[in-house]
Amino acid sequence: MSDVLYFSEHTLQEIALVFMGLVYVLRIRWLLRFKASQERQPTGARDSRAPLKGILYSWANIAMPWSMESSRKHLWMYGQFVVFHLGVVASIGLSFIIPYAPSLLENGPLVLLLQVVIGVACFVGLLRVIRRVSSPHMRAISSPDDYFSLILLTVWFFFAFLAVPNDTSAGEWHLLAFFLLTAFFLVYVPFSKISHYLYYPFTRYYLGKSMGYRGVYPLHTGSKAKAV
Amino acid sequence: MRENSRSHKAQVVIDRMGKKLSRQMVGSLVGCVHCGLCTDSCHYVLANPEDPTFAPAYKADRIRRIFKHHYDWTGRFFPWWVKAGTVLTDAELEELKDIAFGKCTNCRRCSLNCPMGVDFATVNRMARGLLVSVGVMPEGVAHVSKDQWEIGNQMGVLKEDYLETLEWMSEELQDEVEDPAAVIPVDQHGCEVVYAINPREVKYDPRSIADAAKIFWAAGEDWTMASEGWDMTNFGLFSGDDDLGGAVARRLYEKVEELGGKRLVISECGHGFRSTRCEGPNWAKYDVGFRMESSIDTMLRYIAEGRIEVDKSRNSLPVTYHDSCNMARSCGVTEEPRELLRQVCADFREMHPNRAENFCCTGGGGAMSMSEYTAQRLTSAKVKAEQLRETGAAVVVTSCHNCVDGLTDLIRHYKLDMKVTQLVNLVAEALVIEERIPAVPAVEVAEVAVLTGRKIVVADDEPDQVIYLKSVLEDHGAEVHTAEDGDAALELSKRLKPDLLTLDLAMPGREVTEIFDILRGQSDLADLKICIITGRPEMRKLIYERMDAPPDGYLDKPVEEEELILAVRKILEIKVH
Ligand code: SF4
Ligand code: SF4
Repeated sequence: MSDVLYFSEHTLQEIALVFMGLVYVLRIRWLLRFKASQERQPTGARDSRAPLKGILYSWANIAMPWSMESSRKHLWMYGQFVVFHLGVVASIGLSFIIPYAPSLLENGPLVLLLQVVIGVACFVGLLRVIRRVSSPHMRAISSPDDYFSLILLTVWFFFAFLAVPNDTSAGEWHLLAFFLLTAFFLVYVPFSKISHYLYYPFTRYYLGKSMGYRGVYPLHTGSKAKAV
Repeated sequence: MRENSRSHKAQVVIDRMGKKLSRQMVGSLVGCVHCGLCTDSCHYVLANPEDPTFAPAYKADRIRRIFKHHYDWTGRFFPWWVKAGTVLTDAELEELKDIAFGKCTNCRRCSLNCPMGVDFATVNRMARGLLVSVGVMPEGVAHVSKDQWEIGNQMGVLKEDYLETLEWMSEELQDEVEDPAAVIPVDQHGCEVVYAINPREVKYDPRSIADAAKIFWAAGEDWTMASEGWDMTNFGLFSGDDDLGGAVARRLYEKVEELGGKRLVISECGHGFRSTRCEGPNWAKYDVGFRMESSIDTMLRYIAEGRIEVDKSRNSLPVTYHDSCNMARSCGVTEEPRELLRQVCADFREMHPNRAENFCCTGGGGAMSMSEYTAQRLTSAKVKAEQLRETGAAVVVTSCHNCVDGLTDLIRHYKLDMKVTQLVNLVAEALVIEERIPAVPAVEVAEVAVLTGRKIVVADDEPDQVIYLKSVLEDHGAEVHTAEDGDAALELSKRLKPDLLTLDLAMPGREVTEIFDILRGQSDLADLKICIITGRPEMRKLIYERMDAPPDGYLDKPVEEEELILAVRKILEIKVH
């Protein structure tokens, strides 16, 4: 392994991780500076106030495609979402496995599994780029950050796919590209829309709490009529 | 134009935005990933598929860009990169107004369909509030808000008119059930129930007050209405004005407490229920000490407790239910109306999608008071019209007065053969009270000649409509003259000095609104009562855009006999004894 690759896999990643952590802390502090509005709800005919249930339902929403019309109606998109995010998890995992537990990659089925997940995620990334560029509705809501983040992730998946076997026999360029992109990501993510996962727990927490208080969440489908 | 030449209003909007940012709001402003999944959950998008500017995320971005530019570091440092931007001119605020008020009914359907939990409707409400705070709003919103601040209710109903209507409805009830004790109590202390209503009921739908009173009477309820602080609607929800919202809610809560009421029952109104039950305590920062419930809960309870008996065969027409956005998506009231409908209707059929996934009636968010967006509203109503048509129902029931108006307009626009009603009307119709009322057809006899001695001019260009109105009015004893255009109506009014002129607003010749203005300007016709009977939804502006002498009545076509006679009697102050 060259010094440059070693530096990219270790020191560079660690610096980038610390930077990302710092920016995230600042970002969360910034969000918490805004006061949360209170939810007062008087007693009603039904005891519909179930904030905890609402919060849990709201958080779990993403794993229940049947619970939201937008997922139910667009199962193809929902499938893409799942694969894409599995690809992100696998690629992040890879960025730790290669420097800190490379022996895991001697396991053939694991390598295959990672390559399949990341490869399909890369393909989904391409589909998403095409959708964002070709649909007038998507173009209307897209910013340069949206295009850039998506393309960057798709390219990152591509190099992650190549990096999975951790094989330098044909050169180091693919591993180098993967780790340089990973480091860039760590620095760029807090400033981009990719940081959405940081806000997700907050937005869904508050929506769930409010909807739970009001008896909207969990949504009623008709099978569970409430007692008066 | 550079930032230092920003208009005063634009600067105020930016500054006030900072004060309105709660953590929830900021979450919705930073949380959007522009995935586009909410796009086709919006009825505006579905009805205008070619126009991406109706997409919820697009509309949200018009507001979000200002937030990013002024309050979020990414937007401050890299505005172009994240599409951040500011507002500089009043014209830009006007554009924002057309989005916040004209392209969104705050129905929250997109909010519940966003995987990230972005609540665009709440963001949009904030934008409305900011615009209203600098006077940028549709004219109707300004009028209604002013009335609610100054007169205490959003339709400008004066106390004497309100009390007179209650008295009149009391007499109707006594007459109908032949019980002199069947009165609408006012300002009674220590009652179990204080009943609060929508001012629309006083002005245009007094029958719903009488129906509710009949149900309370049949249940033997210990109830009252308040002489003041009786309006449970709250325009603050629509205008985004939390101060108005808080003041209106507080007025109502304090009245219930002053009367020592144990339970506030809110008549069927989606935004009224949401404002009073869910939002009001937060806007007013008021810890409410009594129970609050929708009249749907109350009616259901009466049936469950055996306090009233209902016979579903009396409502035999096929019925469907339209969930009000505010009731279903913001307050979780979805099963109770269905439970009630199954008890009082013989043929109830679901509309799809339903409950929290139902589509807006398109009259929500105060849209009925914004006549400048009527055409856009009716186009977006295509989705709802399809939903209604597919049910094959003859009657659509809804628990919201706004929805009643919104649905009525779209039913007429899309030529659906349906009528709109509310649960209170169906329950009153289904009430079994024979044992307390001897079946004497005395009311019928009294009503036959109720308009005797009254002179009425019917102005309408549709021969069928003229024949119908003339025969109904003549059957009730009125002397009826007809006019087929505005000029003839003007001439007949001057010559005959009728008690009442019913005026269609879509007649050939001169613009009828002009005729209306001329009539109102004639000193010798100062006492002439005018009832608008129209098939043109945009004419709702006559209700919302306050004029010195508004029409005395307003009816939507098609008009039913009972509705017509009731309106005429109310206008001419004719009581049946
Ligand atoms: S509001 Fe939600 S669903 Fe709509 S584009 Fe943004 S993240 Fe996606
Ligand atoms: S709140 Fe309703 S009307 Fe407004 S954008 Fe969302 S879905 Fe459309």
